[in-house]
Amino acid sequence: MVVIGVGNALRHDDAAGLEVTCRLRARLHAGENAVRTEFAVREHEGEPLALIDLWEGAGAVVLVDAIRSGAAPGTIHRVEASHEPIPARLRGSSSTHAVGVGEAIELARALGRLPARVVVYGVEGLYFDAGSGLSEEVQGAIDSLTDAVLGEACSLASC
Amino acid sequence: MGAGRQTRVIRTDYLARVEGEGAMYVRLDGREVAEVKLRIYEPPRFFEALLRGRAFTEAPDITARICGICPVAYQMSAVRAMEDACGVRIDDGPIRDLRRLIYCGEWIESHSLHVYMLHAPDFLGYPGAVEMAREHREIVEQGLQMKKAGNAVMALVGGREVHPINVRVGGFYRAPTKTQLRTLQDPLERARETALATVRWATELPFPEVEREVELLALADPDPDAYPIDRGRIVSDGGIDIAPAEFDEHVVEEHVEHSNALHARIRERDVYLTGPLARYALSSQALRPLAGEAAREAGLGGVCRNPFRSILVRAVELVQACDEALALIESYEPPVAPAVEVTPRRAVGHGATEAPRGLLYHRYEIDEDGTILDARIVPPTSQNQLAIEQDLRAVLEANLDLPDDRLALRCEQTIRNHDPCISCATHFLQLTIDRG
Repeated sequence: MVVIGVGNALRHDDAAGLEVTCRLRARLHAGENAVRTEFAVREHEGEPLALIDLWEGAGAVVLVDAIRSGAAPGTIHRVEASHEPIPARLRGSSSTHAVGVGEAIELARALGRLPARVVVYGVEGLYFDAGSGLSEEVQGAIDSLTDAVLGEACSLASC
Repeated sequence: MGAGRQTRVIRTDYLARVEGEGAMYVRLDGREVAEVKLRIYEPPRFFEALLRGRAFTEAPDITARICGICPVAYQMSAVRAMEDACGVRIDDGPIRDLRRLIYCGEWIESHSLHVYMLHAPDFLGYPGAVEMAREHREIVEQGLQMKKAGNAVMALVGGREVHPINVRVGGFYRAPTKTQLRTLQDPLERARETALATVRWATELPFPEVEREVELLALADPDPDAYPIDRGRIVSDGGIDIAPAEFDEHVVEEHVEHSNALHARIRERDVYLTGPLARYALSSQALRPLAGEAAREAGLGGVCRNPFRSILVRAVELVQACDEALALIESYEPPVAPAVEVTPRRAVGHGATEAPRGLLYHRYEIDEDGTILDARIVPPTSQNQLAIEQDLRAVLEANLDLPDDRLALRCEQTIRNHDPCISCATHFLQLTIDRG
């Protein structure tokens, strides 16, 4: 079981996934979860194909990323990608890469290198230009997003 | 047919399989190619603005986030520019070797991604790597394995796989031990074998016979046996031979209305191309013997002017990078200190290195306390835009009788030949696509 925050620390709301895993780690470190040793928390900036190596060997993975799908900024999306691709409307991630998170998942699936359970949490971002700091809308969603990810991770880790 | 000329418009609003986002707009008027625009959505210079007011020591960390596929290139050009400003040159010794090593790691990572995931599908007739993986699993697995080897080099020397945090102005925060570097030998040896096999495989691909005449520009290492990557003068086959500090005198950037990137031209002449084809044309004699031999066996002459065959040149550069990385690991002795002292002063500095996609130029003006007053970053894809548009024009003229969907695909392939990193070219991603 691994939780991976995906994003870019210097493209405003694109840092949301990284912020969540940072908070998650802090909460776990403060002793918040009795089964904290059962899952790893990682960050990944940049090219998403490397995720395939990051989740290697894990039975389950939770990805956290900023998303652009036209929903209201701060909206939290949860998608289960264990058996089906991420819906096209949600594949507009902030990734600037030819192979985005959605494609990395599909490539791993085609190669038999996808964990049995894959859950993607996305938060709708507003600003993705260069700079640090989350928009108000996304900042406001981080706590509940972190709660959701923690709950999901605990439930997957105990499967 | 009725009277009058028929206008065809071919638009691809979202280019698949290039880094970042981009668009292509073509207007054909009868049998005339009336308009060709490689359209970039991102406004320029946001990262340059972000750098202003920051400390010179922050440049590697900030610029590393411009591009997820080539953070090391940005860091290397940044540190060389800052060191240039401060009067420091790191041109040999273990620190330079480590820089060359981590840069080789990035070439391996970036080139294997392009060759296998982005470019190969074009030649094998698949829309993308995912579809290709279902029927050619071993090819994709090979690509991923090579990419992993490149990432491993970057992680070990850089401290983290992406956005290497170990890189600093003056060198590194910590230098690896010989023992640590030796853990890279096995994966790199396998990657080298795979790279050689990649050259052989790529030789058999169906290449359209296309020859493009365009001025080629790249770094040239002062050591005649060193393939350019981290230092050198800027040269071209049109006669350019300048120090990085003279870049501005010879290259003009202009803002073009249809693209938010800047178009670069050689001041005395016009369009130019940078990247693997340019490096190969200008420095193929400097390839390591194994890579040079692979190039010869592949039938690559002294210069390759067919952009479709760039996949072959990248494959040769993969051999080069793997072989060089192994040699550097073999000869490595840890430095006395992981970094040299760099004291800021009021100055302007220039740095030019060879990113996987071509020449990456940085210029910084810093204050006496090292505060960045001004920053200028010229990415390779930005420099190549005009050359890519010219390629598009040529492909269109030669293929007017194809139906629109096939013509659009040919155009997209033409763009992909150059492995453009559109997010680097304009530093910002805006994903609002107007489908009109």
